[in-house]
Amino acid sequence: MKTDMSWLNTFRQSDLTHFEQTSFPSQRLEDWRYTNVSAIEKKQFALASQIEKLDDNAKSRLAAFTLNDCYHGIFIDGFFQASLSTLPESITVCSINEAATLHETLLAPVFNQAIESPHGFTHFTNAHFSDGIFVCINENSQLDKPLQIIHFATQEAMSATRHVVILQNNATATLIETFIGVETQTYLTSSVLEIFLRDNADLTLYKVQQDSDKAYHFGGTYVQQADNARFTHHNFALGSVLARSEIISHLETGAQCELNGLYLGANRQHLDNLTRIVHAKPDAVSREYYKGILNNRARGVFQGRIVVDEDAQRTDSQMNNRNLLLSSDAEIDTKPQLEIYADDVKCAHGVTVGQLDEKSIFYLQSRGIDEDHAKHILTFAFANEMVDKITVPSLHDCVFTQLLARFPEGAER
Amino acid sequence: MSANNDEINNLLNQDYKQGFITDIQADTFPVGLNEEVIAKLSKVKNEPEFMLEYRLKAFRHWQTMPSPDWAQLKIEPIDYQEISYYSAPKSKDNGPKSLDEIDPEILEAYKKLGIPLAEQEQLAGIAVDAVFDSVSVATTFKSKLHEVGVIFCPISEAIREHSELIKQYLSSVVPVGDNFFAALNSAVFTDGSFVYIPKGVRCPMELSTYFRINASNTGQFERTLIIADEGSYVSYLEGCSAPQRDENQLHAAVVELVILKDAQIKYSTVQNWYPGDKEGKGGIYNFVTKRADCRGENSKVSWTQVETGSAITWKYPSCVLTGDNSVGEFYSVAVTNNLQQADTGTKMIHIGKNSTSTIISKGISAGRAQNTYRGLVKILKSAENARNHTQCDSLLVGDKCGAHTFPYVEVKQPTAQIEHEATTSKISEDQLFFCQQRGLSAEDAVSMIVNGFCKQVFKELPMEFAVEAQALLGLSLEGSVG
Repeated sequence: MKTDMSWLNTFRQSDLTHFEQTSFPSQRLEDWRYTNVSAIEKKQFALASQIEKLDDNAKSRLAAFTLNDCYHGIFIDGFFQASLSTLPESITVCSINEAATLHETLLAPVFNQAIESPHGFTHFTNAHFSDGIFVCINENSQLDKPLQIIHFATQEAMSATRHVVILQNNATATLIETFIGVETQTYLTSSVLEIFLRDNADLTLYKVQQDSDKAYHFGGTYVQQADNARFTHHNFALGSVLARSEIISHLETGAQCELNGLYLGANRQHLDNLTRIVHAKPDAVSREYYKGILNNRARGVFQGRIVVDEDAQRTDSQMNNRNLLLSSDAEIDTKPQLEIYADDVKCAHGVTVGQLDEKSIFYLQSRGIDEDHAKHILTFAFANEMVDKITVPSLHDCVFTQLLARFPEGAER
Repeated sequence: MSANNDEINNLLNQDYKQGFITDIQADTFPVGLNEEVIAKLSKVKNEPEFMLEYRLKAFRHWQTMPSPDWAQLKIEPIDYQEISYYSAPKSKDNGPKSLDEIDPEILEAYKKLGIPLAEQEQLAGIAVDAVFDSVSVATTFKSKLHEVGVIFCPISEAIREHSELIKQYLSSVVPVGDNFFAALNSAVFTDGSFVYIPKGVRCPMELSTYFRINASNTGQFERTLIIADEGSYVSYLEGCSAPQRDENQLHAAVVELVILKDAQIKYSTVQNWYPGDKEGKGGIYNFVTKRADCRGENSKVSWTQVETGSAITWKYPSCVLTGDNSVGEFYSVAVTNNLQQADTGTKMIHIGKNSTSTIISKGISAGRAQNTYRGLVKILKSAENARNHTQCDSLLVGDKCGAHTFPYVEVKQPTAQIEHEATTSKISEDQLFFCQQRGLSAEDAVSMIVNGFCKQVFKELPMEFAVEAQALLGLSLEGSVG
């Protein structure tokens, strides 16, 4: 951890003080009522250290998730790996520790500005991050290929990373966050990403959380969208035993925000998704669509909130959350919320929890497919709707493979 | 539009009609709350020993509890030592024996409210229990109900005369320490209604309680307990109002419904407590705990509420669907105007197999009011094939009000089917224009659109109430169109 960057150190110190006072969030907090993170504290993880080299097993896992048609920024146990990364040269991109001195004028004014409601995990991450990525795309520029940020955990330890992405006016980019770990390893990954989209900027962000099935994951994405900026997020929560994902976006005039999510829980997984879309100014549009399938003893949580401030007239906002429970031990807790202070708005939310559509099952049966197989097909299709939204081919294949592994009976005949 | 605004404002700018004060002599306790006050209260009410113990237990528990702050409400701190916990119209002895003995001023007050207490003047088919401040002043049609075995009396009378039923059922749905206001109510409740419908009886008339707060600096803490024994049916109505005063008054009621096998209770409320003036001064704090326990198979409860009054409403009529095939329904219209705040909704706890619930909530927010729907649908593992359908719609009238929807859905049973949908919108210029183009005045158009918005709920109300509810709706939205 570098200590020479005084302005960044001020943040670290203040967040450390906060974290020491509050620790990780308790269930008494409304936003954490369904998620108990005390297990993380009990593990008493040490902070991860830089490792010398990867073994073959780890190498092949990393390779399996490295997408061929993208740029790569690779972090192992929270440490940036310049030698493994292939960063684009057309834009400003470097590790955040470097950026703190190299690009202080860009980074210092925005750092921490998008985090509107800090809590234990953001304090923890700010206090303890080892590194992170800094991306800035200039006005009217476009990133020619998606940039994939891979977070790879190898040690039984905790690691924190801190990222900042800035898209100047009219800039366009696609980013992919991939979270993986050595299989069966126990660890905590905590990542905080701040995104600043200036006027008319356009960012598509994918997050694939495929951490090991014993891992703990926190990922917070905090977005500021200036006038007419567009933000599209696709969130796949597939791995880890306990994962919390947060997407909070603040929309100015005419901004557009689309949040898609899929959480697939099995065994004893606990997957918590919190989203908040704040319409601060008029004429912004938001669409949110989250789907969950919970099997075995898994528990899914969806907490979505749309806030429409007094000024945000002519807001158009929709939120939808659909859930399938496949087992009598699975559980879903969902809390879709509308908080509206303006009158000229169109806001709606919908939630369903239930089984597969009887008529669809019957339709398939009438075409000679037995009931079990029909259910598998429909379950697969339920999830695949979200996977099909991925427009990066290599990423689509990668996630589709994960989906097939979960529901093998759904696709084969 | 703007040319019509004044017209609409004038039309809707009517005052709270029930805001008068009845000048009567009253026995009122000095302000303050401690164990002595509770002992005195219990003594004044001639209660058996077990009730005093019950009250003290509740009071001791209440003292350990913090005032809840999780609702989307801004509540001025309440000084519980500045409230008088008992106020009764002065009477010659232990309560009036017949209508002739009731203070004519009180009779006049109820007449003004449109609740005649003389049986021959009443709409046939409704029996009324009239609660004035802390005591029940009259209960009509008692003897007629007695013929079929229905007990309908003030709860203080039930405590004395039907103590076995009270011991068995009181606090069996809302435990003493359930929440801050329920605990307070258990300690200091003064009166309310008690209803027992015996096995297999369909109550021959609708039962109704009218609550009136008259005295100042008092709180009203009423308690209602309704027991529907196997195979019985009752429809119960509740109405209320209070004088117009500058200070806030506390109303913390507890309503418990027990529904046994094959029985059904239909509970309707038109809540019209004084809402405070346009600057938000005064008004009733309406902090109410209402809960129904569908204990038996095939039991059914239906809550219908029209909430137009109160400065602050904090109320979640709930259904515990314990019995297999039990049914819970919640229909609500909540209107807030000026600086009123409402945080209201329901809880549906599904425990029994095949239990079903329906929630229809319509929130209308105008002026600078804040209107929140907060609801919980919880499906426990045992509730196979449970069904819930929830629909929450909010209508915003004016650009300074807020409408919020906070549903909680917790499901632990894969065969359950849950649907929740919510929308928020305003009356559009297009809708208004369409109506006006067809010859309706702007105010009629607004009233028609609002009534249409609430229709799903109004049709669940008994007829007399539906008429009153529609009239209230117009009154509550005074000065809000623009």
